[in-house]
Amino acid sequence: MLVQQLVNGVTQGSLFALLAISFAIVYGVLRLVNFATGSLYMVGAFAGYFIVTYVVSNFLVAILFGAIGGFIVGFILEKVAFRALRGVARIASLICTIGFSVFLNELAAVLFGAEAKAMPSFYSGVAFRVGGAAVSWLQIAMIVTAAVVLIGLQLFIFKTKAGLAIRTVSLDFKTAGLMGINVDRTISLAFSIAGAMAGIAGVLAAVYYNAVVFNMGNLPGLKSFSAAVFGGLTSIPGAILGGYLLGIIENFGVQLVSTGYRDIIGFVILVTFLLLRPRGLLGRKINM
Amino acid sequence: MATSLGDRWKGLTGWIKAHPVTSLGVLTILLILWPLFINNQYFLRVATNVGLAVILASSLNIIIGFTGMFSLGHAAFYGIGAYTSALLATRLGVPFWLGLPAAAVVAGFFGALIGLATLRLRAVFLAFTTLGFGEITRIVILNWRSFTRGPLGIAGIPIPTIFGITFNRFMYYYFMLVLVALVLGAIWRMYHSRIGRALIAIREDETAARSMGINVFGFKVLAFTMACMLAGLAGSFFAHFQRFISADSFVSNVSFEIITMVALGGTGSIGGAVTGAVILGLFPEVFRFLAQYRQVIYGLILISVIVLKPGGIVGVKGVFEKPSGGQKGFWAIVGDHVSAIFKGGAA
Repeated sequence: MLVQQLVNGVTQGSLFALLAISFAIVYGVLRLVNFATGSLYMVGAFAGYFIVTYVVSNFLVAILFGAIGGFIVGFILEKVAFRALRGVARIASLICTIGFSVFLNELAAVLFGAEAKAMPSFYSGVAFRVGGAAVSWLQIAMIVTAAVVLIGLQLFIFKTKAGLAIRTVSLDFKTAGLMGINVDRTISLAFSIAGAMAGIAGVLAAVYYNAVVFNMGNLPGLKSFSAAVFGGLTSIPGAILGGYLLGIIENFGVQLVSTGYRDIIGFVILVTFLLLRPRGLLGRKINM
Repeated sequence: MATSLGDRWKGLTGWIKAHPVTSLGVLTILLILWPLFINNQYFLRVATNVGLAVILASSLNIIIGFTGMFSLGHAAFYGIGAYTSALLATRLGVPFWLGLPAAAVVAGFFGALIGLATLRLRAVFLAFTTLGFGEITRIVILNWRSFTRGPLGIAGIPIPTIFGITFNRFMYYYFMLVLVALVLGAIWRMYHSRIGRALIAIREDETAARSMGINVFGFKVLAFTMACMLAGLAGSFFAHFQRFISADSFVSNVSFEIITMVALGGTGSIGGAVTGAVILGLFPEVFRFLAQYRQVIYGLILISVIVLKPGGIVGVKGVFEKPSGGQKGFWAIVGDHVSAIFKGGAA
């Protein structure tokens, strides 16, 4: 039973980790939080859904298009909500992303209908059993995909020139500009990548839960912000760790409290960490 | 000489600004008298709902507009007030007149609790914590079936009585009018008092306020608590007016609607919050055919107000203004943004 919870936890944690990293990238470059992250997740899920339903029913293609959908909307979001509002009080950008979140969610509800749409699972059956726990092929596919994406992102950020630019901008964007880095383009890129991460998480969630619906991103968005704070909003490994830990804790926590209350666990962690250790598990010290 | 519509509008608003007492008096008389001439149940109901929106927006304005804090969980305090009053009335038979203040006190208590826990944090984190609190409230209401009846909601909330007379639509409207007047009066008094000045100082520059000897944290908690109490008051009225409540009435989209009202009207201005609430309160009634696009339009309004007209309709120099740069016309700002998007430079 415990092993089963652990496996389920890691699977869900993969989704949280991808979303948490989306928050961490945006927070890293701009010290701002993108409230519409949950909506980018939904956008990704819809992109994947339409590709699978109307074009080609392939898991990887769905993931690819989910990433593209998130990338494009993330790019637009940055242009409107952040580029235009740079230098204005942070609260303005924050409210603007809330506006985007409401707008995107409700637009999806109006365009595609409020009812949940069925997404195929692609992988069925149990892959292997370990200690009384059944691990399904789908769970393996999810965990592996998330791991590959996260490792790829790490390589991109720590081994490429564009990744170096993002890291530099996140340290100090004025100095980065003086060093000849195109700050605007770097921020744009960081945002789009953050959007792509959320989009990939959305497709994975759609496949895992077999459902695509307009408000699917609301709770995961909130929870994975908790996960990002938990692990450390200023640290990319921290956000990943927070995501996986939240998934695991949630699945074990359900054993203690009734399932109706499982969604509260993330918020309890959020409030506790904000109060006692705002930098999270691995983050660097920041001024709260 | 022909005067354009814009000039007339400017003339009208100018006159109102020059004669605040007279215009307020005229408005009050109109608000009191119109139901006597237009006896229409539907209009009365809409007007009462607009009153609710005015109280909610004005109370949130204390948090966002006056103090520059950020709450995304206002609907939760509204809901806590509604449930307090409804549960007291249906389970213990407590009359509305006791339930109303009780709702304010309970909502204020939770507000103070959340405030004490989170107001030391930066705006972003406060925003997420309050949003999280809103979700927690909704989840608890849905799951604590023995207490709140869960998804079934609470039905049959009694109609208030006064001197043995049961409320009718008129009395609901007039009571709402009194409530709005009292709430706005209280907010106006507070805004122009020591407390109000302290809050504005905190909004403008927290460090400077602190060095002037203002107890920043204390005033923040005070403002947050007061706003939550007013939301609780509105919740109690809503419960006894609607006579049925469920968790659906207090979801986070309601919080976003209240924020949209404040932003649209003009953040930080008492008249602005009222204007925004009246417009968005009437909006779904006037534009029935747009019913399904309602939330989409709210989202668009929120984005466009923040990006294009940060001062809102009232045009207050509020929270969202850029620190430097002169006044620009609406289309000039649109042009800036469009060129910024194509050139890729900062606006």
